[in-house]
This record gives sequence, structure tokens and C-alpha cells, in this order.
Amino acid sequence: MVLAQRISHVQLQYSHTIGRGEQFGPGFTYPIHMARGEDDLMYVLCRSSEYRPEGTRVTVCTVDEEYVNAFARGVPQQGPHEYNFEDGSLVWPVNVAIASNGNVYVSDEWLHRISMFTRDGEYIGKWDENVGSGDGQLDRPAGVAIDADDNVWVVDGNNHRVQKFTPDGQFLMKFGSYGSGDGELDSPWGIDIDNQGNIYIADWRNDRIQKFSAEGRFLMKFGSSGSGDGEFNRPADVAVDQDGIIYVADWLNDRLQYFDPDGNFCGEKTGEATVSKWGKDKLDANPEMWDERERAPGLERERDFWAPTGVAVDELNRVFVCEGPRNRIQVFQKQALTFMGPRL
Amino acid sequence: MAEQDIALMAHLMRRAGFGATYEELEARAAKGYEATVEELLHPETQPAIQDDILMRYQPQWVSKAGLEGQQEEWTYRMINTKRPLEEKIALFWHHIFCTGHAKCEYPKQQNIELDMFRTLGFGNFEELLMGLSTDPAMVFYLDNCMSHKDAINENWGRELLELFSLGVGMDGNANYSEDDVKEAARAFTGWTVTNSIPRYPYGKYEAAFIYDPSDHDYGEKTFLGETGNFNGEDIVKIVARQPAAARFVARHMYNFFVADEPQVPAWQNTPPRDPEAIKMLEDEYFRSGYDIRSMLRVLFNSDFFKNAQFEKVKSPTETVVGTMRLVGDFDMPRPGLNAMTLTIRYMGQDLLNPPTVEGWHTGREWIDSGTLVERINFTADAVGNTSHRGVQAIINRLGAQGDTISSEQLVDGCLQLLGHYQLADVTRNELVALADSEGELRTGSDEFGTRVGQMLQSIVATTEYLFE
Repeated sequence: MVLAQRISHVQLQYSHTIGRGEQFGPGFTYPIHMARGEDDLMYVLCRSSEYRPEGTRVTVCTVDEEYVNAFARGVPQQGPHEYNFEDGSLVWPVNVAIASNGNVYVSDEWLHRISMFTRDGEYIGKWDENVGSGDGQLDRPAGVAIDADDNVWVVDGNNHRVQKFTPDGQFLMKFGSYGSGDGELDSPWGIDIDNQGNIYIADWRNDRIQKFSAEGRFLMKFGSSGSGDGEFNRPADVAVDQDGIIYVADWLNDRLQYFDPDGNFCGEKTGEATVSKWGKDKLDANPEMWDERERAPGLERERDFWAPTGVAVDELNRVFVCEGPRNRIQVFQKQALTFMGPRL
Repeated sequence: MAEQDIALMAHLMRRAGFGATYEELEARAAKGYEATVEELLHPETQPAIQDDILMRYQPQWVSKAGLEGQQEEWTYRMINTKRPLEEKIALFWHHIFCTGHAKCEYPKQQNIELDMFRTLGFGNFEELLMGLSTDPAMVFYLDNCMSHKDAINENWGRELLELFSLGVGMDGNANYSEDDVKEAARAFTGWTVTNSIPRYPYGKYEAAFIYDPSDHDYGEKTFLGETGNFNGEDIVKIVARQPAAARFVARHMYNFFVADEPQVPAWQNTPPRDPEAIKMLEDEYFRSGYDIRSMLRVLFNSDFFKNAQFEKVKSPTETVVGTMRLVGDFDMPRPGLNAMTLTIRYMGQDLLNPPTVEGWHTGREWIDSGTLVERINFTADAVGNTSHRGVQAIINRLGAQGDTISSEQLVDGCLQLLGHYQLADVTRNELVALADSEGELRTGSDEFGTRVGQMLQSIVATTEYLFE
């Protein structure tokens, strides 16, 4: 008897987990998003919280979990109406992207600010902070992506649109408006650009992904509200690999879904986390916790995603999923196609 | 619309919620008192807070890993909810059924308990006690997970009777004996929680309640005069049908929603402040089959409630949340929320982290020289900020009275728009004199808003404003 089994043509194999909860040094504090840099570097944006502002930062490490440095700290607030938003600091950082020269762009949805740093974390400057809805003005900027020409695309969350800027923040174009029709957006969050220059938007409150041309023309949409295959519960981020496979951080469904270039559902991952290197270091320093883990029922829960907000894919087809509440990033490796051909 | 209707609505909304703007009070008064009571008693009829937006901008509210973050979230909910009694009932039961962060160390677990209060807290008292008995935070907080069939830990059994359902005594008599405590503890053996996954490296995981039949004492027990092979559920059933349970719930309701009472330890020998009111509530407890919502309906529609305006010292939570709702601040998540929330702690109420299992001592015990300064500074800062939407609304209403307003109009108008506050004559006269000393008040002048703000600040600094 021949066993026939339908397999998706996209296979993700779990690789490893990076991270542990830490306010300083090796570790993350609510990693909300990340970007892959040169030399296997990862720039992990840690949102942390107002009551632990020291944890708000960009942590730089390698895919092999070697800690490099951290920059752009949060700053404590002094009172209900007394703020300290000095240049280079972060309040509500939400997205990070890296330009071809290695410069790091960070969006901050409280400050309505795009800050720039060198690849080593030195503060370069910020775009003009023009809060509003006019051309070039931002209201709660969320996703950031950089195209092949180093132009910067910013998801303008409260304006329900996407804007394109030069690397130093000069307005170039925009598309999108509030609504649920084709090409319309509702509180969009994440963004990515494929190798054809097409734009993918996590249309957050419409529970769908939309694809636009580089000119801002609506091309495609997929997804609807729900928890079934191809359905979303507030998708936070989207990433597209070199083959056009689309990965979606399905935030409140606690999973990663992936789709073929036409938006057809290929599969999902609900998490396969294992103890990271940094995690092992922490447990080795607190050996009683190894024992507690042995006694704890339901340890398999540790594998599961919890509210992933960021997804990135690099040129080696490694898929990175940021899980803020768990202070970690799960890494998957996309496998080669099952049958590569051309001969049997 | 009669101002007395609005004044009564202000009273209801302060007690069954956290206060309301004058505009909301007018709308609710037009709807009617009893209709508003019904709406409050059925929070499911009103829209819920949009959690997705909150969690997007305050992502730590997803993980609920830190005490301050969880305090922020709850405070934010109390400020912005369209279902004020849902949060007030959660606060009510949190005052009584205390668990503390100092021991639990996982706010998400305590938030699960709060969610139980938001739902079961309106329902049958017996079911609520069952929810409490199987709540992992409580099982851990009061050590029932350390109580075993051959070595009982009495902590849960004792506090269930003393602080959660009966009280030490009433009408001069004890409600239970030491033997009852031990028998209750025996009945609850085997009611435990799962071992936790350690917090490193990826944070905590929720515990689950489990019943371990191998660790249950199946022997015969005699509890409150009844004998049988009782399990915990039997204990709860017996407790719920005691007259002392009705008295317990009634006095707590009265103390929280109507007027300050002596603290729980005094209830054995100190009669209720209003025995007739307590009797009405006790009767409704049994008539309704221990239904909390029914008791609240009787309470809010009663004359004893309507006549109890300004008979209660506001708790720190009521002070801060009520002020924010009044002025319209923090109607969206924003930085500064942590600092605002911490003032509740500085005023003496560390939400989710009470000083002991007995909870907070309420009434005048909220006030000392330190907490008084915190209260006045916080409320005065808020109402004096003329950029706040709610303060602007007060300024605009007063300004619409004519080209000038008298000092009396300024004082009385501010009192009215704050929610019909009442001052002693001597205090009111001093404020009128203060306004007189500033000269004629022209509503179109640049200083008008500032002077209104200053008058609001003076009012919230009075002794009377400590009450609700």
C-alpha cells in the first residue's frame, strides 16, 4: 500500500531559541521586533515598560546568541505630566529596520519619531517630529521597512496609511486611508518589502494582509477574522522571503502562519521553544530551578508562542519570531522544497 | 431637570462606580435612577474596553508580569470602563478576598482572580466562595497547597470563616469554634495547585487548581453542628446558609457602598451602624438564594443608601480614579500612567498587594498626615490643570452664565459641577471670601479659567472633599 500524505511545499524546521528575560546585558525585555544586520547580527528592539524603562533598548547579538551590546535606552518619567524625551531615547519603540549602510532606524509610536543610529549604536539623529495627518507627518508610526534604494517606508498607524521617505526623512509618497475596502487600512502595524519592491502590510484591525505595488497600487489581500487556517486575530507583522513566501505574526492567535506568494495558506507554527544558551546560563546559576522544572507539570507549555509581534526572515531563509511576553526569539529554518527535480 | 436628581445620580455614580462628569450625570438623570441602577447591575449591556488597542500600546499588559504594570492596567480600566460597577465589584471583593503580590509574585495569576470577581462577583455567594476556594492565587496565598491529610495547615480554613464568609462573631456571639476551623481545613485537604514552572528564563506560567484525591482526608467531620464525610464543597454549602454569612456580606456591602463601618474584627461586639439596613440586605440574601446582584439592587434603591451622601471616606483608588474620570485625563494609554497609578500606593493602597490577608482598614484610617498631603497634592494638580477636557467643560459651563459671575456663583457652581459636593457653611463662606478677595470675575477675561481652576483646587483641599 502506498501511503499518500499531503505535505505543504513550505516546510519550517525549528532551529533554536534566543533570549531570556533581562533588563541589561545578554537578554531581552519584551522584544517587540527585530531586524537582521550584517555578520549574523540581530538588532532586537526591547519595548519593556514604563515602570522598567531601563529595559527599553536595542539589544545587539548574533544568531548564535553571542551578546554584542545595547543602545538607545528608555528614560524614566518624572510624573503624570513630566516627561523626559531626550534625543536618542525611546518611549514606545515599535519597529526597527536596517539600511544598506548599516544604519538602524527605530520608530517610536509615542514620540511620533524615527530615530537613527549607526550600526554600532551611536545616535545619528531623528526626523522632524511633525505630528499630524499631512504629507510627511506621522501619527503613531509603527512598521518600518527599507527598500532596495534605501528609501524608508513607514506605517503611519493612526493615519491608517503608509508613507515613503528618503533616508533622511523627506516625504516622497503615501498610500492608504482608513477603511476596510481594498487598499484601505485600519490601524496597520507591520510592513515588509519583497525582492520585487512590493509592499506587504499587516492590516492589523482588519485582520488581513494586503499587498501593494511600489507605486502604492493595491495588488492582493488575504485573511479574515478568526482562528482557523488563514484567519487572523490582529496580525502584528509580516515578512517575505526570497521565494515570496509570506510569514505573518498572528498576534492574538499566538502563532506564526505562512502563505505562498498568492496568499494561500501553507502552514502554521505554534512554537517549539527550547532553553536558549542564555537561558541555560541562568538556570545553571540557579540550579534549584532545574529541579523545579523537573517537577513542574505542563512544561511543554514552554514551547508555545505567546503574542508574537515581530517576524523577520533573512537571506539564509531563517525565520525569526519575536515573543515579547516570553522575552525570546524562536528561530526556524525554511527547508528546501521536497522535490527539487529535474530528474527522478 | 431637577438638580436634586443630578445630585442623587452623582451619589450613585460615586458609589456604584468612580464618579462621572456633570454631562454624564445629566444624561443618566434623564434616563432615570432605577434604570441606571439596572444598567450598572448588568455591565454586559455596555461595551467592553477594547483590549487589543490597550495591549498594542501597553504590551506589558499582555504578560502581566509585574505588579506596577498590573496596577496600571487595572487603574486604567477603572478610569475608562463603560461598566463602572463591574470594576467596582472587583475592587469590593479584592478588599475582602485579599491575595497579595508579596507572596504570589505573579500579577497575571491575581488578574485571573479579578476576572472571577468581575463575573462571579455579581452572582451567587456560594458559587463565589467555590470560585475562591479553587482560585490558584488564593490556594497558594493561604497555603492550602501546604495542607495535607496527615498534616493540615489551618490557614485557609481559618480565613475562609473569619475573613471571607462569617466573621468572628455577631450579636456578641462567636460564629464558629477552633474545632470548626480544623474540620474545615481537613475538608479542604487535597485542594491544591500545580507546581510552577520557574520564572527563568522565560517568565512565569499560570498555575492550575487541582484536586488530589490521594491527599484528601475522607474521615468524618463535624462542622458548624453538622456531621458527615465533608469535602470542601460541603463546607462552602454549609457556610453559605449561615445567618452569619448573610450578616457578613451585608455589613461588607454597607461599609463599601453606603457608609463607613467599624473594621471586621470589631463586628462580633459592635452592632451595625444601621441595623435595619443590614436586616434588609440579610433578608434579600436568603430571599434571592444568596444572590449578590439582588442585594445590590435592594441597596442602591433603598432610602438608607440615598440618604448616605458623603458618609464615606474615599479610598485612595476611588480618589485617583474618580479624579481622572472627572478631569478626563488618561482616556488613552500614555506615558505618565505609571506615575499616576503610583499615587494610589502613596495614598496608602497598594492594589493587589494589601498589607495582610485582612486587607486595608478603610474609612478614616485611610487618612494620616502623609496620605492627606498626597491626596490634596494629586487632586489639586489635576483639577487645577485647565488643559484637561473635564476642567475645560467646567470652565465653559460657568462662563456661560453671563459676562460676570459672583463669588457665590463661582463657589456653588464649582461644587455643583464637581458632583454636587456640599461644604459646611463656614468652609463655603471662607471660599466665597477668598473669591471676593480676587476681585470681580469676568467670564471673558484671560484669568477666568485660572481662577476657576484655583477655586476647584481650594475645594478639593477641604475636609469635605475627602468624603463621597
